[in-house]
Amino acid sequence: MTSDQLTTEFENFRGELKSFILRITASVQDAEDIVQETYIKARSKLNTFRGESSLKTWVFSIASNLAKDLLRAKKRWPETVTDICREEVLGNRQFFQEAMQIRETSPQGKFEIKEHIAFCFTCVSKSLPLEEHLALLLKEVYGFKVREIAQILGLTEAMVKYYLHVSRSKMIEIFDHRCALINKQGICHQCTELNGIFNPKQKAQEELVKIEMAKDAENKSKEELFDLRMKILQELDPFESGAAELQLHHLEHNRQVMEKYLGE
Amino acid sequence: MNQQTNPKAVTEKRMFSRETTVSVKIEADPSIVWSLLTRASDFPRWNSTVVSLTGEIKAGASIELKSTLDEKRIFKLKIKEFVPEKKLVWGDAMGSRVYLLEKGASGLLFTMSEKIGGPLFPLFAGMIPSFDQSFEQFAADLKKEAELIQGSKK
Repeated sequence: MTSDQLTTEFENFRGELKSFILRITASVQDAEDIVQETYIKARSKLNTFRGESSLKTWVFSIASNLAKDLLRAKKRWPETVTDICREEVLGNRQFFQEAMQIRETSPQGKFEIKEHIAFCFTCVSKSLPLEEHLALLLKEVYGFKVREIAQILGLTEAMVKYYLHVSRSKMIEIFDHRCALINKQGICHQCTELNGIFNPKQKAQEELVKIEMAKDAENKSKEELFDLRMKILQELDPFESGAAELQLHHLEHNRQVMEKYLGE
Repeated sequence: MNQQTNPKAVTEKRMFSRETTVSVKIEADPSIVWSLLTRASDFPRWNSTVVSLTGEIKAGASIELKSTLDEKRIFKLKIKEFVPEKKLVWGDAMGSRVYLLEKGASGLLFTMSEKIGGPLFPLFAGMIPSFDQSFEQFAADLKKEAELIQGSKK
C-alpha cells in the first residue's frame, strides 16, 4: 500500500474514527489530537501493515492504543455522572448563557432529545472499565466483528466476547434503572428536562414518539431497548449532527466537572 | 469425580474436617471462565450464590465475600494461589476453596472444592450448613454464563 492509498482510505473513515475517539475520551481536543497522531503513525509504520486485517481495523488499532495510553492513568467516571454534572450545572450561570448563545446562533445548536440520548450514553459508558468500553463501542456502534476487535485490542476472541457480554449487561442494567424514557420508575429525566429549557414551546411527548426506543419502551425487552439505544448512536455523528455544537459544549462541561470531581 | 452436565456436589465428612467438591464440564474457552472467576465485582451479576464480593482477586490480595449461605456474615478471605486459567485458591484459617480448570480432550473441566476443618472442628461442625446445594448452583451458574458468552454472536 502506498502513502497516497493510505490517505485516501483514511479519509473514508476519518469521521468514524474521530467520533469513536470522542466517545472514548469525551474530549474534542483529545479526539482531534489522537486522529492526527494516528494518521502520522499509520503513515510512518505503513511498511509494517501486512494486510492481515483491513486497513480500517489496523488504523483503529493504532488509535485505540493511543487512547489507552492517554486514559490508562485516568480514573473512570461514576455511573451517576449525569446526576453529578446536573448538580454542578444548576449553579453555573455561564454554562447556560453559552448554551443559549449556541442555541440561538449556531447552525448546529438545536436541542434534540435523540442527540441527548447519545450524549448521555457517551458519559455513562465511561463508567465501564476501559477495555470493556472500547470493545462495546467497536462492536455495538462501529460494527466491528469480534475477530476484528480482538485484532484492534490485542485480545483473544474469547476475552472480547467476555468484555462485550459484561459491558452490555452492565449498560442495560444502568439504563433500565436510570432512564425514564424506557422505564417509568427511571430516576433520570434530563433529556426531557433540557428539552423544556431549550425548546420551551415544544411538547416533549410529541418528540418522544418520534424516538423508537421511547415509543416502544413498554413492548420491548431490555435487550431490544439497548439495541435501539445503540442504533441512535450508530446514526449520529457527534461532530456533524444538527445539535453537535450544543452537545459538544455540554460534553466539555461534563468532562471538566468529572476531572474536578475525580481530582485529576 | 463427578463430571456431569448438571453438577452434583459430593461431601466427604471426617472427624476433623469436611470437604465438598463439585465438577462440571464447560464448553467455553478457559479465559472466559477465568475472567468470570476473577472479576470480583461482577460475581453477583451471574452467580446467584454470591450476594457481594469486594476487593481484587489477585495473588496475595484480600477479598470480602457475602454468600447466600449466610447473608449476615462477611467472610474475609485471602487469595492464596493464583495461576491464570488453571488454579485459584482463596480462604482463611478455617479452610480453603480451590477452583481448578483442566483442559482435556473432552473439553474444559471445572472443579471447585472446599475443605474446612481443624482440631476444634467437631465442636462446631453441626453449626455449619451443607455446601452441596450452593456448590451445585455455583457450578451451574458458571457453566451457563460461560457457555452463553462463548456462544455469543460474532
